Amino acid sequence: MDEMTLNVTAVAVRADGLSRRYGATRALDEVGLNLERGITGLLGPNGAGKTTLLSILATVSEPDAGRVSVFGLDPRDGAERVEIRRRLGYLPQDLGYHRHFTVAAFLDYVAILKEITGRRDRAEEVARVLAAIGLEDRARTRIRALSGGMRQRLGIAQALLGRPDLLILDEPTAGLDPEQRLRFRELLSDLPGNPVIVLSTHQADDIAAICPQVIVLLQGRVHFAGTPAGLAATAAGRVWAANERDARAHLSWRGADNRWRHVGDRPPDDAELVPPTVEDGYLLLSHAAGAR
Amino acid sequence: MTTTDGGSAPPGADAARPPGHHTPAGPTARSRASRRRTVLALARVEAMLLVRSWLVLAGVLAGGIVVWSFIRAAQPLWWDADWAIGEGQLVLAMAVLVAAQLAAGRPRRDAMTKLYASFPAPASTRTAGHLAGLAGVAPASLLLMGVAAVVVQMLGPIGTPSITVLVGGLLLVIAAGAAGIAIGARFSHPLAGMLGALVPALASFQYQRFPGAIPWLLPWPLESNGAGQLDHLPGPLAGYPPAAAHAAELAGLALLAGIVALAVTIRRGRARVRAGLAAAGAVAVAVTCLAGAGQLRPIPTADLNRLVAEAARPASVQRCTSVSQVRYCLYAGFGRDLPSLEAPVDEVLAHLPTRPGQPLTVRQVLTLFLSDPVLTHGHPAQQLAHWAAQLQHAQPGTSDIPPASGIYLPVGSWPDTGGLLAVARFDLALAAAEWAVHLPGSAGIVSSGGFQCVPVDQAREAVAIWLAILATHPSASELQAGLPTSQHMFGTQVGNAIVPTWNYPGVGNGYVTPPGGGPQLTAAGYLLARAMTSLPQQRVAHVLTDAWGSWLNWRTTDAQLAAALAIPMPSVPAIPPHPSRRAVAPGPGPEPQSPVCTG
Repeated sequence: MDEMTLNVTAVAVRADGLSRRYGATRALDEVGLNLERGITGLLGPNGAGKTTLLSILATVSEPDAGRVSVFGLDPRDGAERVEIRRRLGYLPQDLGYHRHFTVAAFLDYVAILKEITGRRDRAEEVARVLAAIGLEDRARTRIRALSGGMRQRLGIAQALLGRPDLLILDEPTAGLDPEQRLRFRELLSDLPGNPVIVLSTHQADDIAAICPQVIVLLQGRVHFAGTPAGLAATAAGRVWAANERDARAHLSWRGADNRWRHVGDRPPDDAELVPPTVEDGYLLLSHAAGAR
Repeated sequence: MTTTDGGSAPPGADAARPPGHHTPAGPTARSRASRRRTVLALARVEAMLLVRSWLVLAGVLAGGIVVWSFIRAAQPLWWDADWAIGEGQLVLAMAVLVAAQLAAGRPRRDAMTKLYASFPAPASTRTAGHLAGLAGVAPASLLLMGVAAVVVQMLGPIGTPSITVLVGGLLLVIAAGAAGIAIGARFSHPLAGMLGALVPALASFQYQRFPGAIPWLLPWPLESNGAGQLDHLPGPLAGYPPAAAHAAELAGLALLAGIVALAVTIRRGRARVRAGLAAAGAVAVAVTCLAGAGQLRPIPTADLNRLVAEAARPASVQRCTSVSQVRYCLYAGFGRDLPSLEAPVDEVLAHLPTRPGQPLTVRQVLTLFLSDPVLTHGHPAQQLAHWAAQLQHAQPGTSDIPPASGIYLPVGSWPDTGGLLAVARFDLALAAAEWAVHLPGSAGIVSSGGFQCVPVDQAREAVAIWLAILATHPSASELQAGLPTSQHMFGTQVGNAIVPTWNYPGVGNGYVTPPGGGPQLTAAGYLLARAMTSLPQQRVAHVLTDAWGSWLNWRTTDAQLAAALAIPMPSVPAIPPHPSRRAVAPGPGPEPQSPVCTG
């Protein structure tokens, strides 16, 4: 195996036995995972520990127990932590902004903090990410004048500054309209250099569309790690479509075709078995974890 | 991707270490260079943000207004004006403190701490960038200083500016910025900066609460905190307040604030850096304390001896110039005021039918307040009593300064240009005219026990006012404003009657000492003088020349003068009697039972 192949397939981010508590609440419970290059989706309901896990991977917070290795670097060591951050792009959940800055000034400022110190380099980098997220015409607009969706795109843009090797995006598609979400998917898929991307989202269809790998985090523990197809397959034989609601199903909802979709252990009356989706698999896992 | 839920990751995970990855020794060296570049780049951006900050712009404007309000009100003396420029810098410093606190607290206030924590540039690097970015306020401070200096220079100042004092103003602004960053690094709420800015301002304005020379340790010694009276004379107390020590104190405080800001933001466990900061902090504290001690030393006795001597016996150091039978005696450096003083006096004398027999002296005087601890702290009570006796002995009207032959001008009170100069010239002309018609001057006030006498129904009062109006041509509205109205009753009790009075323009400004000048003038006298100005000047001059001696007699009445001029007596606004009102404010020092001017 040559070196290129090794880099593509080897583990880039490793976590062993990560635990983190907030008072009496256990946010992470001995989580371990290995991330390779490419996009990994992180699915889980609110309070599952996604944001805590991502902030630990981003070296922003430290676990109570366990250890993390990013590109072989240990974030507990000051110098290695800085080295990790040099290769990191991070979009936290609910990011605030310096609202009186213009879009370009904000990105320029973040670029400095990412140690892109040459003026020309910064200008080129800012122009590149603005073009990537389609905000070129808003460069001189003050952030307070941007819509919520535009601000979210700006948050993604700042994470892309410096062409990071590790991109951690905590709910990046929140607030984006359908067209912007499609453009975002395209953007992540086309990122050069095959970086490690960890994408936390509630949108199962985003995961299905662009993530070769998916992790389901429930109640601070990893309940699934594999491909989206594998996640969908966990619901195989347990998803039905019917004209009536079935009270015995774990979950039921009316679809776009006006028919009821049921996830459960037994088929409703007059129901037909349908192929499961990533969302079905996730919902079934989530239900099972909640029932436990 | 695999999960190792609860277990250990497979070996080989670290094999993904990228080419070019540094060993722990490598990144450290790289980090230092990167941090330097990051600090410089941040400093540039933060400096630009400060320069464009509306707070800083407002600070420059407000500071300029403060400086202007000080330098326009008094004679432009450079050894006074340079401290006044520093008072404007105090205002700018407050604005810079708030702006710097807002900048340093920006990540936390804007809910961006998580994102900032993910950057390779740590909080201490950002703080260093903020501190270096304070260079951005230097142009604002220099602009304020430069414009103010040009304005002072255009006013034709006396003396030369002290570069040390002016640089102290710049250091004040830098120190305030560093303090703002230290506050912002810990407290992000905007109120924290505002409260921080109030501390130096309130401290500076509450100078009287501090004993000894402690007011000199305040962020900026204000004009009125004792420095003011020291600054009027360039000679014996040049060097006070101690500008170099104060600049050193400000530099020490700026350094200390910067170190605190870095210490607050530096990451735990960086023992060597912390030790370096502690050492630098100790140096900053030492510099500040030494500079403070330098300012707290008492003024040497020899210097105060000379100051008291110059105040008590001005004739011993003043240079006198005689022009048209008038002696002008001025302290060294003030000779350029001579033409400005001569003009109104000459005009009055030119309109007199007969030159007075005795000469007139116009003299600068210096009033010292030895009770001010800033001036005399550290000196024994016996020494203070000795100095006080010297000054008492030299009051106008006592042995050293003959009564009834002098007009006294406080040092530094003579304005240079504009409306204030016109008012001051009228006041001087009025004092000269009162002297010419034998109305008791400021010396007479002292001899009558501190009460101003009132020339009730004396023709010579109207003549004096008419002469002053003729000499300086003040605006009618300004003169009219000093009359009683139905809303504002000006009057003073003489005998059993309340006499309506007239407050001439600039009556409280202290151009002539003591404040208020000579006698308390009456509304009747002014109204008759105003009626005289409506007559042809030759006609009035003819009437006055015909019986000049009689008009100078204090028993000659307004009615006699009006009759001689063939004009009706103007009606005077009446003040209704009130049992509790013996004197009606705001009159300049009317006391119960003011005496009638006689002699």
